[in-house]
Amino acid sequence: MKKSSIIILAALMLLGVGGMSYTDLNQKDERTVSFSTNGTASESFETMMKVLTHKRCINCHPAGDRPRQGEDSHIHNFDVQRGEDGHGVVALQCKTCHQSSNNSLSGVPGAPHWHLAPRSMAWEGLDKYEIAQAMLDKNKNGNRSVEEIEKHLTEDQLVLWVFEPGVNNEGIPREKPPVSKEDYIKAVKDWIAEGAIIPSK
Amino acid sequence: MSNTENSNETPKRTFSRRKFLLRASIGAGVMIGVGYFGCNPMRRSLAGMAEEAALGYDNKFDAIAWFEVTADNDIILHSPKVEMGQGIFTGMAQLVAEELGVSIGKIKVVHASSMNRPVDPRSTGGSDTISGLWVPLRELSVKMRVMLLENASKILGVATSSLSIGDGVISGGDKSISFGEIVSQATEWNEPKKITLKSKKDFKVIGKAIPRVDLEPKVMGDPIFGIDAEMPDMHYGVIVRPPKIDTVFESADFSKAESMPGVIKVVQESDFVGVIAKSKTQANLAAQAIEVKWKTNKVWEQKDIEEIIKVGKGKPVEIQKSGSPKRILNGDDVITSEYSSPIGAHAHLEPNGAVAFVEKDKAIIKISTQVPKFTRTEVAKTLDLKEEQVEIQPTFLGGGFGRRLHTPNAMQAALLSKAVGKPVHVFFSRKDEFQHDTFRPPTHHVLKGKLGENGLIEAIEHHVSSGDVAFGSVLFPQALENVFGADVGAWRGGMIQYRAIPNFSATSWRVKLPFATSWWRSLGLLANTFAIESFIDELADKAGKDPVEFRLAQIKDDERGRRLKAVIEAAAKKGEWGKKMPEGRAQGFAASTDANTPVAQVVEVSVENNQIKVHKVTCAIDPGMAINPDGIKAQCEGAIIMGISASMFEKMEVKNGALTPTIYGAYKMARMRHAPKEIDVVILEGADKPSGVGEPPLGPIGAAIANAVFKLTGKRLRDMPFKLT
Amino acid sequence: MNVSFTLNGKAVSVDVDGQTPLLWVVRDVLGMKGTKFGCGKAACGACTLHVDGDAIRSCSYAVQFAEGKKVTTIEGLSTDEKIHPVQQAWMEEIVPQCGYCQPGFMMATAALLEKIPNPTDEDIDNNIANICRCGTYYRMRKAIHRAAEIQQNSNS
Repeated sequence: MKKSSIIILAALMLLGVGGMSYTDLNQKDERTVSFSTNGTASESFETMMKVLTHKRCINCHPAGDRPRQGEDSHIHNFDVQRGEDGHGVVALQCKTCHQSSNNSLSGVPGAPHWHLAPRSMAWEGLDKYEIAQAMLDKNKNGNRSVEEIEKHLTEDQLVLWVFEPGVNNEGIPREKPPVSKEDYIKAVKDWIAEGAIIPSK
Repeated sequence: MSNTENSNETPKRTFSRRKFLLRASIGAGVMIGVGYFGCNPMRRSLAGMAEEAALGYDNKFDAIAWFEVTADNDIILHSPKVEMGQGIFTGMAQLVAEELGVSIGKIKVVHASSMNRPVDPRSTGGSDTISGLWVPLRELSVKMRVMLLENASKILGVATSSLSIGDGVISGGDKSISFGEIVSQATEWNEPKKITLKSKKDFKVIGKAIPRVDLEPKVMGDPIFGIDAEMPDMHYGVIVRPPKIDTVFESADFSKAESMPGVIKVVQESDFVGVIAKSKTQANLAAQAIEVKWKTNKVWEQKDIEEIIKVGKGKPVEIQKSGSPKRILNGDDVITSEYSSPIGAHAHLEPNGAVAFVEKDKAIIKISTQVPKFTRTEVAKTLDLKEEQVEIQPTFLGGGFGRRLHTPNAMQAALLSKAVGKPVHVFFSRKDEFQHDTFRPPTHHVLKGKLGENGLIEAIEHHVSSGDVAFGSVLFPQALENVFGADVGAWRGGMIQYRAIPNFSATSWRVKLPFATSWWRSLGLLANTFAIESFIDELADKAGKDPVEFRLAQIKDDERGRRLKAVIEAAAKKGEWGKKMPEGRAQGFAASTDANTPVAQVVEVSVENNQIKVHKVTCAIDPGMAINPDGIKAQCEGAIIMGISASMFEKMEVKNGALTPTIYGAYKMARMRHAPKEIDVVILEGADKPSGVGEPPLGPIGAAIANAVFKLTGKRLRDMPFKLT
Repeated sequence: MNVSFTLNGKAVSVDVDGQTPLLWVVRDVLGMKGTKFGCGKAACGACTLHVDGDAIRSCSYAVQFAEGKKVTTIEGLSTDEKIHPVQQAWMEEIVPQCGYCQPGFMMATAALLEKIPNPTDEDIDNNIANICRCGTYYRMRKAIHRAAEIQQNSNS
């Protein structure tokens, strides 16, 4: 099923069907947010969202300008700041501590282009439906098409880091999402192939 | 290869004003010494002595070498006291320069090796270096001067009365000779019997804000710390320590570790396992691969600790009493308050460790330690060597704060070195530092007070329950525990200082904890002052009196009282106590006396987003006499910030049998953003000799902040670290 | 593995496990002790040095990443002829006490001033997150402002 065939204007659906307080909408947007009409969530959506709502993702999609960290998602130590581009402030950048791979000796996690998701992609405090909407919202997602979103979700090394999060400073393995990388990638691809349908709550 | 303090690898810098600590040539040396430790007879009463931090000097007299004159005309002072940031090398250089009659630039201060150099019988700690050396070191310098003049006179054939001392040169008439030349030519040195010290009015170097003598190596990143020490063909060791408290070693399987890359040997001693490898990283990885079986007697939790640290538990000893406080503190109008402070970590940046090289009949230990003598004794005992076969080479300390008054790490390094016959470099991991620290003990305080009809305090009593500080330390022989009864470290700052109050008492309750607690900069001073000075504010509030006036009205009119009064007045004046504050800001006040140095502080705080912010601190201090005003200011600034950190952020807890957290960040500490933007230090000189500076300014800060927060919000902070909700 | 990079302007080459922290390579293999070990977890900043001009906590930086890069430590901040503005300011303000954390702070400050030549107090608070146990922050702040001044004067 092609996504274009089931496009419904997100704003109307969100306000009317979803009943969510989603006000940051742009009427001119050609968004590709879809909703299932029967209100049931597809299995692929649920599988995908088990990963995307996991703290390994949410910690770096914070609501404010400070990342979170750890299994308890505490505010990142040392008041680490987002900076202008999500890569930290000039003398305390993400890469001051985080390199392109996990450091098993220090327990500092790492992946290519380690940085914070932009403010518009703040997921902290959102539920899975809202996260999915934000993800598909071109005003928020960096003007990504659904194809680009799929690529980001399934190929980006920083995103896929959540399945290989390494050990923490105590040498204890970080908690992984409850879904394997393979199942997650399949779920994302299926969900998008199914039309990127966001079920109603 | 670089050595520790006498590195000859230090790069040449053309901009360098001086080459610090470069011992260009140690040719002809002159040895001169005196037992300054003999100059401090135990005259004072035990309690008074302990309070003034003069405890533990022995009366041993050793004529050992303090000075060395190089052929290049530099004067090297071999310091038995160690430099951990407190600035004593500079203060000592000032005392020497003053009496020797040379510029401070001619004096190089180095850490004395334990081999043929002065060894401090006790420790560097207790804020007593400059006060303790005030007379002996100057006397020594005068002797040095007299002897140089005498020999110059002989060599030049000019009467000493016609000679004058320039900067490292002695001249008379048209002749002159350098110190270095004198030293290389003189054959006889006669120690003068009678000497005269300069009087205060003639001081040219003492009292000046001279930049610290170790400034340049510290700014340029020179290899001066224990962890920087190297020896040829050095290996790296790691010690495996128990994961929980109240735990003993049972057995270990290190078959896997032994075959790992770079591993030289795995050593099993009676109570620990150590790995020696070619690199630090290899040693670390191998240590992780060792499977140790530990036996934990009890899995402790924080609530267990909190239950036992309570006034009423453990052993009480009354440490101060005047009048009949117990009789008076009865009835409905008695005000009772409780306060507490948590377990504190030292969190100094350079981890503990040592570089050891043990051979058949000798051992060298390079180490940042506050107790070279005890380190030597312990290493000698461990290796079954004589003390004189063990050379301790102290280095600069990457923070001391009392943590380096215990050095079992030296013994462990020595055992690892002995096992492989090579020098071994062994340092704690940060996790080990946090879990195996000798912590600042948690405390619990109960204060009772009653106001008289005059609106002043009629009776007050302070009870403090604490883990051990001095007790159990190598610095405090067990026999003394019985003499003292109460732990002098735990109750430091725990006495009532407003001695015009007719009835007061203080009682110390000793509690044994299942983990090591000990010295932490200023010992009990921070927590005890927090409790007492907060309570004094509560009583002032109850009496409807200004907290500063309230304090001033209850100070006894004796020397100690007058000095305390002076700093309170000075802080209030400079800090503009009582001025109209902008909306959302308030002032707070507190004072304390420690190491014979009274300190008073005015703080200005605000509360933003539920966070206390300290904007300004005015600190008045009376260190008796100021040797180096800039060094005193630096100590006040540092102590204030360390005190802010301890009162507002720091806290260790026992979880699942282990001390936690184990990393900076999780162990919250003050950082740049938490430091006040204004710190104003006023120095009074209320005596004719110097007293302690390193610890006293840590006293008032916690209480001053709490008092300001009360004024601002009406909320009384009773537990450190402070929380508003 | 063999890793080659530039250390304080000099080409160096080491044969070590690629995972070895740059800190230990700089200190133990190359003998530059100015960069300090504080925690080994990138938490305290004592090991801060520059890699291609960026402030990096070298205890958590595998040496393999340094291949072909320019590494600068405290020993290389000043040249033989000219003291770096940050070190000059640190001398003028008499910042260090124990001194152990200071190289890390100076390296972080030098990186800050490269990008923000005249930092505000807020910039300093946000960028300088290292730990100093002696509590020299008060003087460091003054020294950072002073270093900015020295740097600007020498550029003008």
